[in-house]
Amino acid sequence: MPRDTGLPPGTLMMLVLRVLSRQPLHGYAIAQRIHQLSREELSVEEGSLYPALQKLLVKGWVKAAWRESESGRQVREYRITASGRKQLETEMAEYRRTANAIGLLLDEA
Amino acid sequence: MAIIGEWIRRLGYVLRRGAREDELRREMEAHRALMEEPRAFGNTLRLRDEARDAWGWNWLDDFVHDTRFALRTLRRSPGFTLTAVVTLAFGIGVNSGMFSLVNGLLLRPLYERPDEVVGVSSRSTTPEGASRGISYPNYLDLREGTTDIFANLAASSTFFVGLDVGEGPRRTLASEVTANYFQTFGASLALGRPFTTEEERIGADVPIAIISHSLWQQSGADPNTLGQSVQVNGAQFTIVGVAAEGFTGTGIPGPEVWLPLGAHNLFNRDARPAGHAFGAREAHELSVVGRLRAGTSVERVAPALTTVARRLEQAFPAINAGYTLVMSTPSRLLFMPGAGSGAVTAMLSLVLMIMPAIVLLVACLNLVDLLLARGQVRRKEMAIRSSLGGRRGRLTRQLIAEGLLLAFAGGAVGLLLSMWATDALLTSLRPVIPVALSLPELDVDWRVLVGTVGFSLAATLVFGAWPAWALTGRAVATNLTQHVRDDGGRRSGGRIGNALVIGQVALSVLLLASGGLFVMSALSAATADPGFRLDGGLLVEVDPGLAGYDEARGRQSHLALVDRLRTVPGVEAVTIGSSFVFSGMSDSRDVAPAGVADVRPYSDGAVFIAVGRDFARVLGLPMLAGRDFSDAELLPGSSERVAIIDDVLAQRLWPGENALGRLIQFLDAEGPEAKQPIRVVGIVPAVKHSLGNARPSPHVYVPLGQHYESAMTVQLRIADENAERAMLATVARVVREVDERVPVLRVETWRDHLDAGLEVWLYRAGARVFSAFGGIALLLAVIGVYGVKSYVVARRTREFGIRIATGAHPRVLLWQVLREGGRVTTIGIAIGLVLAVGAGQLLQGILYGVNAVEPVVLVTAPLILLASSLLASYIPALRATKVDPTVALRSE
Repeated sequence: MPRDTGLPPGTLMMLVLRVLSRQPLHGYAIAQRIHQLSREELSVEEGSLYPALQKLLVKGWVKAAWRESESGRQVREYRITASGRKQLETEMAEYRRTANAIGLLLDEA
Repeated sequence: MAIIGEWIRRLGYVLRRGAREDELRREMEAHRALMEEPRAFGNTLRLRDEARDAWGWNWLDDFVHDTRFALRTLRRSPGFTLTAVVTLAFGIGVNSGMFSLVNGLLLRPLYERPDEVVGVSSRSTTPEGASRGISYPNYLDLREGTTDIFANLAASSTFFVGLDVGEGPRRTLASEVTANYFQTFGASLALGRPFTTEEERIGADVPIAIISHSLWQQSGADPNTLGQSVQVNGAQFTIVGVAAEGFTGTGIPGPEVWLPLGAHNLFNRDARPAGHAFGAREAHELSVVGRLRAGTSVERVAPALTTVARRLEQAFPAINAGYTLVMSTPSRLLFMPGAGSGAVTAMLSLVLMIMPAIVLLVACLNLVDLLLARGQVRRKEMAIRSSLGGRRGRLTRQLIAEGLLLAFAGGAVGLLLSMWATDALLTSLRPVIPVALSLPELDVDWRVLVGTVGFSLAATLVFGAWPAWALTGRAVATNLTQHVRDDGGRRSGGRIGNALVIGQVALSVLLLASGGLFVMSALSAATADPGFRLDGGLLVEVDPGLAGYDEARGRQSHLALVDRLRTVPGVEAVTIGSSFVFSGMSDSRDVAPAGVADVRPYSDGAVFIAVGRDFARVLGLPMLAGRDFSDAELLPGSSERVAIIDDVLAQRLWPGENALGRLIQFLDAEGPEAKQPIRVVGIVPAVKHSLGNARPSPHVYVPLGQHYESAMTVQLRIADENAERAMLATVARVVREVDERVPVLRVETWRDHLDAGLEVWLYRAGARVFSAFGGIALLLAVIGVYGVKSYVVARRTREFGIRIATGAHPRVLLWQVLREGGRVTTIGIAIGLVLAVGAGQLLQGILYGVNAVEPVVLVTAPLILLASSLLASYIPALRATKVDPTVALRSE
């Protein structure tokens, strides 16, 4: 049962892909980065993050590998794949189209 | 492609799930360690569970878990499990067993794409529409004229022959066929080649044969079979092919050997009917089947046949006038057992279809019973589990898993049971059929499997899901409290249970009573009075034609045999006849007074038998009037045609008058002598020819000289009735001595002959099958009564406890429980009796010597049920009296 993230459904996966498209990150860092980049507007809970990551893995849009972090810890780092980038582009285009349409409607109706 | 990749990755998760789980755990721990407030991290177990959901395998986990849980639950109540599995096994077993049989004999296509295959027959254009075979020249013209419709059009003729594969001749079926026969059915040969068109040409006389796969198997499946030879009616035929496994041609049973049409004269030396040569246009003897060209509509067949028929009428008016060609369905069963009467067919289908359905119904009622009773008992368990957070879907799924397990276990056991039952039925059928049959293999095929699995699934849905839904549906919390107070025993659960038991009892009475009718019928058939003395009679079936004897030699052989047997000490009288009573086969003629203008009242038919001298004496019948046949009349060509008739026929022809010396004629005979009048020279008492006859049937006997048949039954009356067995051996030896080449098909006493007959077999099989089914239904009903009573007693433990505590005598409680059980059973029996009388009306017409209302049966069947159901409620009743009040009051 997915939890309520406060995000429109499906957008979390897009956000994760977007963040990973800049650089490979581990789970905690992904949550942090989303939090920072959204100017602390969005916070992603573990309960939503990990199911999303598992789904991305299954879909083949990200790959995961264990690595040692700067602090000497074993972390699992996620890296976007080629098909993940393609998916991100489609989703972003789709999202922008919808958001524009909604925006238009809200402004002019 | 992406989808496939995704599934491969998913599969990776299930195959290496230990490692993946571990990874997930480590990852989450790392995450938590990085957090400023590790405690803010949620419940890791739950998080992992949710993350795993993405792998898409949780349903499998649940399934495995549910199945394990169901197995444990079922193991904890072995009584219930065993009962349910046995019930289902019987229900499924008898049905899929019957289905195997019906499927093999009636349903399974005998050849490829059967919808493309049609029969063609020749029919008179008169209103009666009598049909006849098709002659070879007419067939050739038909084949020529319909090439645009039929891809192949084949002709064949099937009959009995004497086949000798090196063990002496035996009687079996052979088909003579056109060259394209196997191709028409789309049947390839297992070995060798089909016949050529040159071999098909009438008069080609090429002695070759194709043998059936089962014959080949019986003789050791020798790979060098081709080139070896078999004897058909005494003539050598070289084997050129072996038919494909299971191929039987158009019908069941299939022939054991196929011969080319062109070889007809090599093995068939019988006098030609009406003197026409086999290949003549007048010899209407072949059956024709054709396979439509691919894509040809079946509607085009009839007009094309009519066109050809009209052309044939114009070209050969003397032969074909008044006949047209019509499309027909190739008949599947070559001959129905017995006289092919509708009654026998009706009984077969009744036996085959209805009984297992009733047993299934009883089994289903029983299952519903069991599961409902169990469900009621488990209400509390369900309520507790539900209040502890078990979701409704999950609980339902678990109950369905239990149902599935039961259904599949029942199905598996049932399948074993059905294989055994099919075998048993077939084994009991084989000895009574007069020829070696190649029946198609009655394996359990995919349809049976699909049927069984399908039924199991349906059973699951109905018996698993319904109680599950009903149980989990209500507001469970109220159930928890309600259950404590709910000990009335008259709530819906009990009522439904009682209704189910009534239904079971009623159906069991129906089956038991029907079985009883069959048993009585078998008994009276075995003690039937055929109208003559059965004791002290022997018979020998011989067929010199099977050794290749022509008519002259055959006649000689018949008479020599009778003459020699007359000299055997201890033999009182000997005769020979073209048939004997209770053989299941007889020749019939329509007999009318000679010269009557209106023959319509005389179309009922009389049994026609060609006999030797002394036939009445051998049967122990007196001559009522007139004389026996003379020796001169036993040879062909004697001056006047004569006959002996029985008093039943005499009364029919000349009511109230003396028939002796009058003239009769056969209405349906063909040939030059057909319309020649026949003088009645003797009158004998009537005998029954078949057990199915309620009254003796009319017979007309003609002397051997007027009719030749190669297969004859020598009948002997012996002096000492106690010496039957010893005389059998002597007679068999003497018959061999007379001519050891003549195949002897049977040597047996008349009583054994009657017992081994197909009719008696049918009554016996009916008795056995109905009794078995009745027994199964009885068993199930008893289980049902026991189940419901036990359940009621268990629920009323508290009530009984209180009553015992307040001083009720145990015997009062015992009687109360028994009385309630008795009431339910009595209602069931009353309904069952009404059903049984109805079934009796149906069976009366089919069964020998029983009435619709047979007091013995209608009293015995209910008594058995009443006794068994009282016994079944006695045990729970006894338990009610043993209730310990203190335990009972504390129990809930």
